Amino acid sequence: MKRKWDPMKTKFATGLVALAAAGALALTGCSSSDRGGPSSEESGGASAAAGFEDGAKIGVALPQKTSENWVLAENLFNDGLTEAGYEPIVQFANGGVSEQQNQIQAMIEQGVKVLVVGAIDGSQLGSQLKAAKDAGIPVVAYDRLLENTDAVDVYEAFDNFHVGELQGQALLEGLADRKGEGPYNIELIAGSPDDANSTPFFEGAMSVLQPKIDDGTLVVKSGQTSQQQAATQGWEAENAQNRMDTILSGSYKDAELDGVLSPNDTLARAALTSAKQAGKDVPVITGQDSEVESVKSIMAGVQYSTIYKDTRKLVQATIDAVDSYKAGEEPEVNDTESYDNGVKVVPANLLEPVIVTEENAAEVYKGDPNLEDLTK
Amino acid sequence: MSENHHAVLEMRSITKEFPGVRALDDVTLEVRAGEIHAICGENGAGKSTLMKVLSGVYPHGSYSGDIHYQGEIVEFRDIRSSEQAGIVIIHQELALIPELSITENIFLGNEVRGRVGIDWETARQRATELLARVGLRASPDTLVKNIGVGQQQLVEIARALAKDVRLLILDEPTAALNEDDSEHLLDLLRGLRSRGLTCIMISHKLNEIEEIADSITIIRDGRTVETLDVRAGGIDEDRIIRGMVGRSLASRFPDHTPQIGETFFEVEGWTVEHPEVPGRLVCKQSAFHVRRGEIVGFAGIMGAGRTELARSIFGRSYGRYLGGTLRMDGKEIVVPDVLAAIRHRIAYVSEDRKTLGLNLLDTIQQTVVSANLPKVSNGPVIDHDRAYLAAEEYRKSLGIKAPSVRDGVATLSGGNQQKALLAKWMFTEPELLILDEPTRGIDVGAKYEIYGLVQRLANQGKGVVVISSELPELLGLCDRIYTVFEGRVTGVVDQADATQEELMRLMTGAPTPAR
Amino acid sequence: MSSLKQLFGGGIRQYGMVLALLALLAYFQVATGGLVLTPSNAQNIIIGNSYILILAIGMVLVIIAGHIDLSVGSVAAVTGIIVAIALRDWGIPWWAGILLGLAVGVVIGAWQGFWVAYVGIPGFITTLAGMMLFRGLNQRIGHSSTVPVPEELQQLGAGYLPEWAPDTGLNNSTLLLGVLALAAVVWSELRRRARAARLEVEQPPLWVALVRVAVVGAVIAYVTYLFGSGRYGTSFPIAGLVLVALVILYNFIASRTIGGRHVYAVGGNRAAAALSGINIRHVNFFVMMNMSILAAVAGMVFVGRATASGPSDGNMWELDAIAAVFIGGAAVSGGVGTVVGSVIGGLVMAVLNNGLQLMGVGSDTTQIIKGLVLLVAVAFDVHSKVTGRPSIIGLVFPWLGKGRKGSGGTPGADDAQPEVPVADGATSRG
Repeated sequence: MKRKWDPMKTKFATGLVALAAAGALALTGCSSSDRGGPSSEESGGASAAAGFEDGAKIGVALPQKTSENWVLAENLFNDGLTEAGYEPIVQFANGGVSEQQNQIQAMIEQGVKVLVVGAIDGSQLGSQLKAAKDAGIPVVAYDRLLENTDAVDVYEAFDNFHVGELQGQALLEGLADRKGEGPYNIELIAGSPDDANSTPFFEGAMSVLQPKIDDGTLVVKSGQTSQQQAATQGWEAENAQNRMDTILSGSYKDAELDGVLSPNDTLARAALTSAKQAGKDVPVITGQDSEVESVKSIMAGVQYSTIYKDTRKLVQATIDAVDSYKAGEEPEVNDTESYDNGVKVVPANLLEPVIVTEENAAEVYKGDPNLEDLTK
Repeated sequence: MSENHHAVLEMRSITKEFPGVRALDDVTLEVRAGEIHAICGENGAGKSTLMKVLSGVYPHGSYSGDIHYQGEIVEFRDIRSSEQAGIVIIHQELALIPELSITENIFLGNEVRGRVGIDWETARQRATELLARVGLRASPDTLVKNIGVGQQQLVEIARALAKDVRLLILDEPTAALNEDDSEHLLDLLRGLRSRGLTCIMISHKLNEIEEIADSITIIRDGRTVETLDVRAGGIDEDRIIRGMVGRSLASRFPDHTPQIGETFFEVEGWTVEHPEVPGRLVCKQSAFHVRRGEIVGFAGIMGAGRTELARSIFGRSYGRYLGGTLRMDGKEIVVPDVLAAIRHRIAYVSEDRKTLGLNLLDTIQQTVVSANLPKVSNGPVIDHDRAYLAAEEYRKSLGIKAPSVRDGVATLSGGNQQKALLAKWMFTEPELLILDEPTRGIDVGAKYEIYGLVQRLANQGKGVVVISSELPELLGLCDRIYTVFEGRVTGVVDQADATQEELMRLMTGAPTPAR
Repeated sequence: MSSLKQLFGGGIRQYGMVLALLALLAYFQVATGGLVLTPSNAQNIIIGNSYILILAIGMVLVIIAGHIDLSVGSVAAVTGIIVAIALRDWGIPWWAGILLGLAVGVVIGAWQGFWVAYVGIPGFITTLAGMMLFRGLNQRIGHSSTVPVPEELQQLGAGYLPEWAPDTGLNNSTLLLGVLALAAVVWSELRRRARAARLEVEQPPLWVALVRVAVVGAVIAYVTYLFGSGRYGTSFPIAGLVLVALVILYNFIASRTIGGRHVYAVGGNRAAAALSGINIRHVNFFVMMNMSILAAVAGMVFVGRATASGPSDGNMWELDAIAAVFIGGAAVSGGVGTVVGSVIGGLVMAVLNNGLQLMGVGSDTTQIIKGLVLLVAVAFDVHSKVTGRPSIIGLVFPWLGKGRKGSGGTPGADDAQPEVPVADGATSRG
């Protein structure tokens, strides 16, 4: 093996030394980086005291783009925030939980001043929300509660428990109205088990219906009265329909189904389809979301009721909360007891849902471009 | 014999380059109408490349020079355009789809159009006619995977005929065929020639070329060496070899004085069942023995059962073992899998080196050590430097032509690949080495080298078993030759007494003629 | 200039991907106004993608052996829920939970390995069945609800290495790691040269080794600085440490052990491998079991980061892992691929994702871009294999092109008949 000293070697040895020097320089040259010491570890917390200026970036992380509601929300946030003088960053996470996690991280990196989160799964964002808190960014839970973390500052939503109560009441009224005297046969449908909102819907409704079940006015022939039994995975219509089919063929061979508690319109229509295909009379059925097909159904006298949650109002309330943070204040809340997310009780700003039936539909939907015409 | 003596094809000054290599350098080829023109040359000489230029595989523009066909200059863009001109090439690796029927294969790419879609009835009918023309007795519905290699070759020719071929190019047509099928094929070519077909044949089989070719062009190192006119007479194998190799091979086999010792490997009553057809025996009570320092040959027609015998002895890697004993140095051994075979110092170099022998993704170094990795490892960790040294040793001692053992084994020529494979098995330090068709697809010069290696192994006191379909090879190389027919060992002949006729007789199970 | 090729010894393709990665980093750094190469973002990239990269390590071995595993997401998810519930309901310590998770991986791996290796069902089908089976199991065990996990497990997925005095201006744990890494590189290079010299094996000239060490050292120094200079309390993430340890381990196994060689042999030519005495069943069983174990690890890391196990975890993870492996240079037909390449392939996707998110690009557009990137990356690979030319790198640096397996070959008719391209896919060999 040749071991002559050649100029190439010298050149590269020099290069090596230079590189090493550069490396050392890089390492030391930044000893005064923005690390701070242990004392600055306790930054975080709702920086209500600080406030921020105009033109700040506001991050809005929404779940999957799967329904009219959310598309509407996206547009409203973009327009509303821009109008209020901010720079909105609104994103959907069609790729699921991990994408939402990454998006929230990116928003923090981009320097948002407030973070609004419509979670896909409210319990899986803990790390990202903590990072937001450490960076002094207030976190607003939009429509879905963020659980198992202390890094959430306010919960903006419609009062979902009250939604349940309204649905329970509507069911009772509808039964009395259309199905004569009791006792009535009813069945229960609940939402997806991994959506935190399913529970307040169900519990709210049961708070009205349970006493009637206990005193015999209402009979659940299938015996499925727990939320778990009534749950519909993924809020999927086919899951509700399949379950209804099974219940009808199992418990309703010689009986009539008078009413169904349904937490939303999609599942209500699924249950109606199931009943129709089984040759049953149309039961009294509740819903939520004021979807176009269901509004039509209500006006035609089939579905009994739905709930109107004006997304415009909720988005506006959220933007109001952002304004509060900008001014260095706490946002307005009206409930500081009900929402225990497992770590803390989250202050909530609850909006009023409106129950809609054939009678009041025209009045409720006045001014809504999509729904107004259907009520004519 | 055709009357026409004009040149139907003239390839002039063809030069083709690849990155770093000039495969063809100013090559000229002249083929007369209605003749069978053979092209000979060592591996890598450029024969296949030349044919690929002609058939449009390398389109016009990727080479320099002209091709004059039927009096005009032609510029083929692709295979289709050359086929439309009546030039059809049948590659060495048959381009048939095993899962499709003979009819479908014949008309592949050349389907019979009906009014709507493919007209299978007409296709089938035409297929039957074509099969009759090539002398293949099989139903056109038979799947190609169910017929033998010889018959598949005939299907390829039928396919060419279906394309109205005027100039047929055959690349090593009889390489994979046994004697019977080869004869049949050559007869067919003669028949086609008498009906006006012009043929170009690339072949290594000098005896066949002697028999059938009208002219021979010899190519060496990408250049035309000479063109011999066979009809003019005076051409024999030696003359051809001299042209190909540039020197006369006084003998095709190196001199060798056998030093034969005691019997050390014995097989008795070996019986093996076909893996997929129950009840069919591929080895019937086979028995043979090998002595130290001896080269033992196995002759037989294709399908006689030699490879099956070898592979089943080698760790039962073929078929279902039904019975029989193996003895090494007098002691009975049980060899239930390949690893056990290797441990008992048995090595098997498979017949199809590309599909059964080599991992073409590997380097030469990796190939050489692959059957005995523990020898260059510390526990489970491979020592790449030791592997390199081992591979280097074999590269030198076997004469593997490659710039470095770190090159891919796929870049080697056929002969060198075979050497690499041989090195791999020699690295397992076997006592018994079984070589299955060790010189298939290898040129004359490389064959000579491999014979030398085999003899060297024998001289080291090992036993070598050689399975081959070339009788001259067995006769020249082996000390004793067994014959196998239909799974049975039908005879054994010493080198001194062996003749092609005698072997043929035993191989085909023909009864002893009355003398 | 073969020394320059020896400088990096790897396939040109692999280095093509490294250059692509650097190009992406540079582009996004500029396009986002410097948001990419910050300590917190770098940490995010590692934390947010380590689980996919861990999957890719296992997946590359599976693909090299000629199989594929579609069940990894479901296996990760079911491991996550089992560990989460065990920690919550049985009160076992966190390390027991991790052992439990590994055990789950072993059991599932043995199950799938059995079907593939001993019964002979193709990996595609077995793991497709596994994908459905384990997804269902996940939902059943967890009642489709989200189960939070304790702090220690969260540290695994999202935690950092500890801080300690003295004040160097960097996180000292990270600094220590960087120094160790540098030392290891130098030492291994020295050792390699010493052994080669002892055995008198040909080796590249000294300056090549010096440059190699210098470049790698510079990279290590930069990475140490990048991760160590973040906010107090952050460092090179623990998840990243797990990832790096696995990469080192598996790279070693794949390139330097007999077992690793066997995997390549089985993938490269199964029949030849069988005839060389390799136990095909053992190899198949090993790669499938190994994959499930790594899937279990990935599941636990993800659940740690997400602070809870959810019913939709693991969805589509297999596709991300497979994409990483193919971008990293593996061949669809098996027998080719490297652990490091797959991790780089995964990082390319991760950086792409991250950069687009920082630019505010929507989820749907990002998906479209990722699909196109995968297609283009693999197209280049196929193209370069068929034509024997190493893609862009070969065009830009033509002197890097020679000597690559299967290309050009050597002059001399006696020698290699070059493996030359043919339009219809057939190649001519000797």
